[in-house]
Parts: sequence; C-alpha cells; structure tokens
Amino acid sequence: MGREVSESCVDGLLTEMVSTYCNRFYANKPELAARRIEAIGYQVGHQLSERYTMERPRFSDHLEAIKFICKDFWSELFKKQIDNLKTNHRGTFVLQDNRFRWLSRISVDPSLENGEAQDPSAVAESKAAQATSMHLYFPCGIIRGALSNLGIPCAVSADISNLPACSFVVRIKA
Amino acid sequence: MIVCVAVVGHQNNPLYIQSFTEEDDALKLHHIVHCSLDVVDERVNNPKKSGPTLNETFLGLLYPTENYKVYGYLTNTKVKFILVTTDLDVRDADVRNFFRRFHAAYVDAVSNPFHVPGKKITSKTFAERVSTIVKSFGLSSAG
Repeated sequence: MGREVSESCVDGLLTEMVSTYCNRFYANKPELAARRIEAIGYQVGHQLSERYTMERPRFSDHLEAIKFICKDFWSELFKKQIDNLKTNHRGTFVLQDNRFRWLSRISVDPSLENGEAQDPSAVAESKAAQATSMHLYFPCGIIRGALSNLGIPCAVSADISNLPACSFVVRIKA
Repeated sequence: MIVCVAVVGHQNNPLYIQSFTEEDDALKLHHIVHCSLDVVDERVNNPKKSGPTLNETFLGLLYPTENYKVYGYLTNTKVKFILVTTDLDVRDADVRNFFRRFHAAYVDAVSNPFHVPGKKITSKTFAERVSTIVKSFGLSSAG
C-alpha cells in the first residue's frame, strides 16, 4: 500500500494540533478553535471514508452505514471496534468506545484527588473536562465527514462523563 | 479500445473526463457520458429488476450505441465512473478489473489534501495512472 508512520507520530501531531489551535491561533476563542478542528476532522473523515468503502457493496440504509462506521471504519482507525451502539430508532445513535485510543494518555489533574475544598476542585475539574473535550472535536469531525460522504448529513457530539470511555452521539438531520 | 473515461460526482458534476482518441469528438463523448448518467440513476432507483445485484458497485453495460459501449460503476459515496469503449467483445472480468484499478487511483487522488472535494481532479499523477490503466485494458487477458 502506502508508506506508514508510527502511531506516536500521529498522537504527537494530534496533540500539537489541538494545542496550536487553542493556544496560538484562536487563543481566547475556544468556540472558533473547536469549529476549525472539527472542520479539519470533516475533511479527513470525508477522504478516509472514500478509501475504506472501496471494496464494499453500497449500503442500503442508514443503519448499515452506522454499523460500517462502528466496525470496519473504527477498526481501521483505532484497531478496535465500537463497543456499544444504541439508537432511539428516530435518527439518533450513540456510539460508545470503552477505551478511546486518543484519550488513553490524557492525565487526570492530581490536584483533583485531594478533594480539599469543593469549589476549587470543581473549577479544576471543569477545566480538565474542557481541555479533554477540545481533543474530541477532531474525531467528531471524522465521523461527521465519513457519514456525510456516505450521503447521511448529521451532527456529531462527544460525551466524556466517564473516562476512558467515550460516547459519540450522532444525530441524523431529517 | 477505450475512447473515454469520466468521473462524475454525486451531484452529477464532472470531476474528471478524459478522451483517448485523436479525433475531435470530445463533445460527442461528453454527450454520451452525460446521457449515461440518467441510465445510472434509473438503474439505482429501480430495484425491481436488479435483485441480488442491487447494491453492487459495478453496474455493467449501461447502454450500447451504434459504435460504443458504455459501462458504469457507482461507489459508496455516490461517485460514478463511466467507461466508453469501442471494443466489440469486451469481457466482464476485464471491465471489473479496470474499474477496480480506476477506483484505487481515484481514492489516491481524492486523498490529496490539496484536492477540494467537488472540484475537478487536477492531479497529473492521477492522469498518468489512468492512462496506464487504459493502455493495459484488455491486453492482460491471457485466455
């Protein structure tokens, strides 16, 4: 096939991308940084879906496309499949990955472990959550780009209420 | 002999069209490609006679005109590949093989970060790969 790079290079690139967009390009505008990162993910997902659907027959409905994302697409990207897929049968899907690879090395701030006073630790926790969530815009964009290329416009958001598990909520636009 | 290949996007916008004859018939070939898009849409939206081949990417012979045969291929991302050939006896396996290699070249061209999705493919590498695939069409049939 093509040439390969080591996974640590990709990890480093992603970390640096989030850091640059959040701290340098859009220093005090996290919403703009988030949108930009998500747009990069959109283009990557668009191109990756082109490559990974090459040898397959076409999908007959939305559920098959979502299952493709959960199984083959996720395996190509993260060497594992999505662990749990839920749907409300009305256009919303929740893809749960119990150990999301790109978050597996994010450290939890040790000052949270002390629990001295409620207020400072709550503030610190939300800052950690915000920092982590910036790293999730890229995979959300990838999912959105892949599904859009398969003809399914949607909105994707991430939920990190229990790390290292991560859930991606896909809402298909009617 | 292949006279024309074309890549058409999912909104029926042309992404790449290349003819391989010396004659000045480019317009006629473009017209043939354009007409074949309707046939592709009809094949995909009419499942009644397709049966088991409903979701296959290779659509087969779309329609024969007096001089040409037109073959179609529809990817998962609704991109259509059209092949126009003047050969009289073309083997199914050859055409499938052609489309498989063409699809691989297309995927590589689209993965270029400087390619804007929806705009025409301007990569010279893609053009070279396509002309290589076209030249080896039908020649590798050892049977």
